[in-house]
Amino acid sequence: MPTDEQPHDRELTDQLRRRALSLFGRSLHIRTVDSGSCAVCESEIRLLAAPHYDLHRLGFFFTPTPRHADLLMVTGPAVRAADNLLRKAYEATPDPKAVIAVGACALGGVYDEDELVHGSVDRVVPVDVVVPGCPPSPLALLQGLLVAVGRLEERVTAVSLDLDRDAAK
Amino acid sequence: MALWFYRGLRRGIATTRYPETIDPWADQLPSPPAFHSAQLTSELADRLVQGCVANALWREDHELVIDAGRCTGCGRCVQLGDGAVVPSDQFLLATGDRAALIKRVPIRRDEGQRDAHR
Repeated sequence: MPTDEQPHDRELTDQLRRRALSLFGRSLHIRTVDSGSCAVCESEIRLLAAPHYDLHRLGFFFTPTPRHADLLMVTGPAVRAADNLLRKAYEATPDPKAVIAVGACALGGVYDEDELVHGSVDRVVPVDVVVPGCPPSPLALLQGLLVAVGRLEERVTAVSLDLDRDAAK
Repeated sequence: MALWFYRGLRRGIATTRYPETIDPWADQLPSPPAFHSAQLTSELADRLVQGCVANALWREDHELVIDAGRCTGCGRCVQLGDGAVVPSDQFLLATGDRAALIKRVPIRRDEGQRDAHR
């Protein structure tokens, strides 16, 4: 039945996408897309290329066009005025591709959905990995990139934010 | 010769696995709050929900729900928390599962509330 198959198909698609991303091996090109951010996330993303973080040694490179990109890093709360550019950038990126939503705005924080903004990036394009923070530090962005290509396990599932429960364990 | 280049030649590898170690100053980075649930009263939870400017906190019955994805790490809840709320120092929160960022903390029930539930 189609209703039963849809979640299964989605799961299979996700598995295939993850597998395809792992085949990127050691080289991956990133295109950043600003969907209305305050530019602080961009400032942190720029620091990834600085000598201290040096993402080139991990095989990540920035590219000026989505047509050469494997991965989109999207910042901002997805303002409606940027719908067109965000969708075009997504469609112009060749498959297989991944989208990382960067920052609290892109994840639904700060801005509620209204006539000006969608409030989160996943309402416009499918998001594979999220990187919280306002702004996320370059360390967190690097972790997000490595999680996106399957070279690092995510660790947030093990975090509880309840100190007393953790102490009782 | 740049030191990193020399080390790369000596080890025979061009790249390193990162992050092998986290920078020592990383605990100063803004992070979502962590809660001492034993001190988290109903009144305090309401105050925290009202004080959150990022809509990252809300109540569901006797739980305080925090969406670490929405949290901006501004620290308002830490100021309002009377010691029950502290920075978590967790900032490596990237994940492919958006729901994994939503955490629940039980709210302490005082004696009056316990009696009312009996």
